[in-house]
Amino acid sequence: MSGESRRAGRPMGTTRRRPALQDTLHRISAWAVAPLFLLPLVWMLSASLRQPGLPPPRGVEWIPNPIAWSNYAEPFRLLPFGTYALNSLLVTASAVALTLATASWAGLGLLLVPPRCRSVLVALSLVLLLIPPPALWLTRFVLFRELGLINNWGALLVPALGGSSPLFVLLFLWTFLRIPAALFEAARLDGAGALTLWSRISLPSARPTLTAVAVLSFLMYWSDFVSPLLYLKSQQLYTLPVGLHQLQQLDRTNWPILLAASVLLSAPAALSFLWAQRHFLQDSRLGGTGEW
Amino acid sequence: MEDRLGALGGQALRRTRRAWGRADGWLLLTPYLGGVVLLFLLPAVVSTALIFARYDALAPPVWVGLENVNALRRENLTGTAAGNSLYFLALAVPFRLLGALLLALLLQRRQPGVGFLRAVAYLPTVIPEAAYALIWLWAFNPLYGPVNALLRGVGLPAPSWLADPGTAKLVFVFMSLFQIGEGFVVLLAALQEIPTEYYDTAEVLGAGGTQMLSRITLPLVAPWFLLIACRDIVLSFQYTFTTSYLMTGGDPYYATVFLPLLVYEEAFDRFRFGTGSALMAVVFVLSGTLVGILCVIHRHLSAEHER
Repeated sequence: MSGESRRAGRPMGTTRRRPALQDTLHRISAWAVAPLFLLPLVWMLSASLRQPGLPPPRGVEWIPNPIAWSNYAEPFRLLPFGTYALNSLLVTASAVALTLATASWAGLGLLLVPPRCRSVLVALSLVLLLIPPPALWLTRFVLFRELGLINNWGALLVPALGGSSPLFVLLFLWTFLRIPAALFEAARLDGAGALTLWSRISLPSARPTLTAVAVLSFLMYWSDFVSPLLYLKSQQLYTLPVGLHQLQQLDRTNWPILLAASVLLSAPAALSFLWAQRHFLQDSRLGGTGEW
Repeated sequence: MEDRLGALGGQALRRTRRAWGRADGWLLLTPYLGGVVLLFLLPAVVSTALIFARYDALAPPVWVGLENVNALRRENLTGTAAGNSLYFLALAVPFRLLGALLLALLLQRRQPGVGFLRAVAYLPTVIPEAAYALIWLWAFNPLYGPVNALLRGVGLPAPSWLADPGTAKLVFVFMSLFQIGEGFVVLLAALQEIPTEYYDTAEVLGAGGTQMLSRITLPLVAPWFLLIACRDIVLSFQYTFTTSYLMTGGDPYYATVFLPLLVYEEAFDRFRFGTGSALMAVVFVLSGTLVGILCVIHRHLSAEHER
């Protein structure tokens, strides 16, 4: 499929001689997307800066008066938010590093095994993607307890040892399938082992996929609320999402502080996405994202 | 003769090399397959076994036959939760698909700023669920929240949203409509895979915009629709857990008790892992049935495309 040339031939849908009015309408409605989808985030930001204890506003208050920056210090005063942030960072960083290694190993492994085994394993991976996570919580808990992983970051990191998500493994497989087989053959003739094939040939040609999987797994572990809720007990091990829930339990109505803490939790996720967004959203995107 | 021997030797060598390649392949797959066994297959086996046992995660499990299943059938809440889960799916999935399609159609063409607009449309999808729930809990707060402020501003009635059994689930559906980034990206790719020539031919034949949409675009993205719907169904179970756990706790009057919330309460509040497992089986069967139906439709559609 010569997707590139086709896309190149297509750029301006406008060249299809649309009536000018229709074209303008399309443009305007496209721009209407921005305020609509920014709305919840703008609300979060503006509410996080409102001084606590004020009466309800009359109408929608877009810019609070006065602006209370100190709301952002409150979570750290009420709870060990610094520790939670550090825990989140440690867990997420280790999980992302592990995921990149194990998912790309598995992707390359799928490439090297006989085609019949490969298609069975690909089908299995797709089926696994169709299992709702809540259908597994309880028995994972029982198993983790047997393995001594409860109340221990091990329970949060186990998925990363197995590639985190079958989707990531498949993304790597699809990327590696596009590498000319001759490259692998040549390396093999030079006596290259599995790890050399992985580090010298596969990874260098998978930069965009590495970035995409890094960001997707970052978002997955950074946002994870359910696993720490189910598997952690000691407060000193908590990660930020559970910390936010704890803050909510302390005072359900102190909106400015709760939303300031929400901004603190959301900002790294949003920034990492924005940093890598072109890998997801541009026309020359990952072949994989759209092909399953 | 010599040559033939040499060729045979080469073949053997190549075969050994290929065998090494396979061994390497399986070696590299070990962590992933280990994860699949530990995180998916073993839990599936254990939870099937636990359906027929009384187990509190402390004392060893006791075989009780169908007692757990019968207990669930007697419990009204199971039906309520299943109903709520289906209600959510029936409303959220179609609207989310429609939203993703509209976004993809709007932001498909290259125009100045389209990269920015695509990023903005995806942005709410990456907000962590704990924070996302708090945003909407505040936005729909009857007193402080901006939603009712807006409604009052234009003279519309201001319901009490999450406190009202009639509207609580609608809030969950509404807020889910902003997190449609994944479907949007898949449909964007699907739209760009449609060859331009189709549209050109249609134009030559005198087709209008609406006809192109209904005759070319929609039929060609329909299989992707089903795929996104499957993924939405699967993910909705996790979504309804975090939102109901963080925002309502199942209130008011059990209007937001969803199946996963019951699983959590049975297992982790009451330590009844047996009934919890039976409930998980309900989740599994429910989503499996729905996904199965969609797969059958998908097969029919692709069969028609082949023709």
